Amino acid sequence: MNKVFGSIKEITSPWKRRFVILFLFTIVIPMIVGVWLLNRFIGDTPVDYASPTEHFKYGSTGGEHEMGFPYWIWRTMPAICPQHLPAGGYQSGYQSLGMIYEKNADGTERDVPVGTSKRRYQGVDRVFLNCAVCHTSTVRAAPDKTATLVLGMPAATFNIKGFQEFFFRCAADPKFSKEYILPEIQRQGGDLDLLDRYLVYPVAIAIMRDRVLALAGRFDWVFKQQDWGPGRVDTFNSAKVIFNFPMTHLDPKELDAPADFPSLWRQRQRKEPREMQLHWDGNNTTVEERNKSAAFGTGTTPPTIDLARIRRVEDWIMDATPPLFKDFFPIDTKLAAEGAPIYKQYCASCHGASGSDFTGEHVGQVVPLAQIGTDRRRLDSYASTLAVNQATLYAGYPWRFTHFTKTHGYANLPLDGLWLRAPYLHNGSVPSLRDLLEPAAKRPKTFYRGNDVYDALNAGFVSTVAEANGKKFFRLDTTLPGNGNGGHEGKTYGTELSAVEKTALIEFLKTF
Amino acid sequence: MSALFFRRTWFKLLAVIAIIVGIIGAWIGYDRGFREHPQPDWVTATPEMRFKYGSIGAEHDAGIPYWIFYVLPRIFPEKLTQDGKIIPGGYAALGVPWEQGQELPSGFTKKKIGFDRVANNCAVCHTTTYRASPDSNPTFVVGGSGHTTNVEGFFRYLIDCAKDPRFNADILMAEINRVTDLDLIDKLLYRFVIIPITKKRLLEREAQFAWVYRKDFPDWGRGRDDAMNLTKYFMIKAPMDDTFGPTDMPSIWNLKKYVWEKGHRMNYAGDSHDPQSVIMDSALGLLGAAPANKEDFVGQVKWLKEYLSALPAPKYPFPIDTNKANTGKTLFDANCAQCHASDKTGTTLALAEVGTDRGRLDSWNKGAAIKANQVVKEMGLERRGLVEEDLKGYVVAFLDGIWLKAPYLHNGSVPTLRDLLEPAAQRPKVFWRGYDVYDQAKVGFVTDTQDAQRIGTRMDTSGKGGGNQGHEFGTTLSATEKDTLVEYLKTL
Repeated sequence: MNKVFGSIKEITSPWKRRFVILFLFTIVIPMIVGVWLLNRFIGDTPVDYASPTEHFKYGSTGGEHEMGFPYWIWRTMPAICPQHLPAGGYQSGYQSLGMIYEKNADGTERDVPVGTSKRRYQGVDRVFLNCAVCHTSTVRAAPDKTATLVLGMPAATFNIKGFQEFFFRCAADPKFSKEYILPEIQRQGGDLDLLDRYLVYPVAIAIMRDRVLALAGRFDWVFKQQDWGPGRVDTFNSAKVIFNFPMTHLDPKELDAPADFPSLWRQRQRKEPREMQLHWDGNNTTVEERNKSAAFGTGTTPPTIDLARIRRVEDWIMDATPPLFKDFFPIDTKLAAEGAPIYKQYCASCHGASGSDFTGEHVGQVVPLAQIGTDRRRLDSYASTLAVNQATLYAGYPWRFTHFTKTHGYANLPLDGLWLRAPYLHNGSVPSLRDLLEPAAKRPKTFYRGNDVYDALNAGFVSTVAEANGKKFFRLDTTLPGNGNGGHEGKTYGTELSAVEKTALIEFLKTF
Repeated sequence: MSALFFRRTWFKLLAVIAIIVGIIGAWIGYDRGFREHPQPDWVTATPEMRFKYGSIGAEHDAGIPYWIFYVLPRIFPEKLTQDGKIIPGGYAALGVPWEQGQELPSGFTKKKIGFDRVANNCAVCHTTTYRASPDSNPTFVVGGSGHTTNVEGFFRYLIDCAKDPRFNADILMAEINRVTDLDLIDKLLYRFVIIPITKKRLLEREAQFAWVYRKDFPDWGRGRDDAMNLTKYFMIKAPMDDTFGPTDMPSIWNLKKYVWEKGHRMNYAGDSHDPQSVIMDSALGLLGAAPANKEDFVGQVKWLKEYLSALPAPKYPFPIDTNKANTGKTLFDANCAQCHASDKTGTTLALAEVGTDRGRLDSWNKGAAIKANQVVKEMGLERRGLVEEDLKGYVVAFLDGIWLKAPYLHNGSVPTLRDLLEPAAQRPKVFWRGYDVYDQAKVGFVTDTQDAQRIGTRMDTSGKGGGNQGHEFGTTLSATEKDTLVEYLKTL
């Protein structure tokens, strides 16, 4: 600075000097400030991870642009609105919604859970969901064992309805204001700079509140649904929100249509050699289109989606494989061998030769509802009016959706990683494989979802425990709309096999 | 000298810059506002695709800017109504024939004239969808009656949106920016030119369309339009009167059957001379103005006439009891053939003889025909045109593909063929139109299930123009004979 003024002093002509000073104050300094502000506010930088699995857990889909929570708002919301979270017991914050926190190398808890990504956009660090939030979970071999994180498995503990409700309720809460949030940020160690503290965050809080409240009408219907509980989402009623369908005027039989989160492994085999009918009702045969459709759930829009980063996830799920049952529990190989021919006779033509070989005449194809007989709400939620509208998504882009089709049944799925895909049927209405092999009348009428302790005997998660360590599990009542546990029964579905045969079959299914 | 030289150089330089800026500006204006681009190749890949998605030139004056069209149902979903009920589903709520995977419904055309615009072609009212059962997907039959399309609903919807104060650049642009990434020029154009002009143009329609808002007239409902009043109020700008003549969207396949020399006339009341005239007048209705490119327009009409003349009527796709149908043929020959398979077919039958609702007849007249012909002539378009005579009754229908032309009678007041064989007093008084599940027993569409009532529009035959009386022919046959006759009608 001295040098500058020194050189100004050296300018002999007073007019010239005055001119230079004027120039500095009116042009140069504002420009420097302008460039600094520009630099501060125009960036668009996601946090990236070199490893594909880290990217899957924490990488961005681009959803933060439209839906991102400013980082410190995300961090403080659970403390601002604890009353809108489920009673957590030993778990608190987002963990009470079944989100999973990994540990840092130093043993401390990571700042954001698996399934969330960070991106600095318009000068604010933002957080939102990615694919992993619905497609990652934990499994424990026993209550006292440590949990193993499994990427690509259905997020059996994540309560997405609870998450949405929390988000809307908290934003509407009187405490969702800078007077409460800023001190909480400070308490949690957020060292906001002056600009953030006095400008960015107060404005961000106000904007977020406005935007959430403006969106609330579109999500009102969620509050009126039977609880989905952990591990389930009403996929295609949610898809209607993209088009702002007036949800209160839907045919009531389209509503209450929760479906289990699917697993994401071995996508290549769902694409090649023959494209399978994807989604529970098989309404799309294109993996990439299905992926972009699911990405709406992570807040993406056609102009803001981050295709390069989604592509990394797509590449990874092509050949990702599930963990093996035998790495957690022993398998009776002799018994499993006895189950193999039963599987071949009863299951293989619809579900594939094995957990890694998906050949079979009917694999990946829709079976008419009258034949499969499972709960019809998920099917009916996918209305033909929605199917035609979906063909307008990504209009103007080369990847406009062209494959969505109304079907009239449910698709036969390959069974890779079957043991981790409990509870079973599209609506997760049957807790274990053993129960699924019983006729519907003998399947549990009610059971508990959301426990990550595995029941190796019956092949499913522990479903008879209402509460553990202060955490209440979700009681699924199969008599409620959308929860029906009927169907997939009768002789051809193996429900008339003997108890011995069923046990052998289950043992074989553990090898998938 | 040198000062003058400088001034001149400056002046020249400025002039050159101004000219360059002007040329660039004009080019951008032309390129983004008016430059016409052909539709992509897939549109004209087959005649059927061309019929469904090919432009007939309506985008110039009647076109809605694509992105406005795109976002309206997201911004104003509550205005998509039928019978006073809000129906979810975007434009699909209006029953437009929409093939899965297609960006736009059949009968909606997308063409870039400076910017992408959406307009309609014949297929919007002349594509039939039918389903074998509620658990099946529709089959699309081009050239058939658009029995599901709620045309009046669509007219009203666009105007209702434009009337809403939320139809403004801020709200529309916010939604558009959520679905696409327009460049700066398009953003500016949309915000400052396209959106305000579209709003203004749609609001201008309100006065012209006043009669579609009349509370004393029933809704047209799905699959019908008040065709001749459309012509009266749009083409010849006649003052509004109290007539109301809603009619079924007709099928337009196999038009070669109409032979003018044999006295065949077209339109329900025989008010138009021949296919060429009907196609041209209907197309003008879609254009909403004189064609921007007359040569192209005449070419489109010619293509349509050739395509539709040769387009065969669809065969009944479900099983037919051949023996029963054969027996039915003798009943047909005895009871129906003298009108429907004779020299009388395609000619006008006096109202007193057929006895059906007179609303449609009263909605048109000789004077209007003379004026309309004059208007078209002044556009420099050649056609035989509308019949400049007093109308006396309704045209005896050709029955090719009759199985798919339900509901029946010119005003679509009788749901099925089997119902039509009942005396008027025993025909359904209230039913629901525009549901596309087929009723193989009664031959027509299902009109009274819960789904039919939810998806279709209510048709009350006691409403204006909706009378289901008349054509009481064959109504005294026995129930068995009627069933047999209907079985035969499936074969036509």
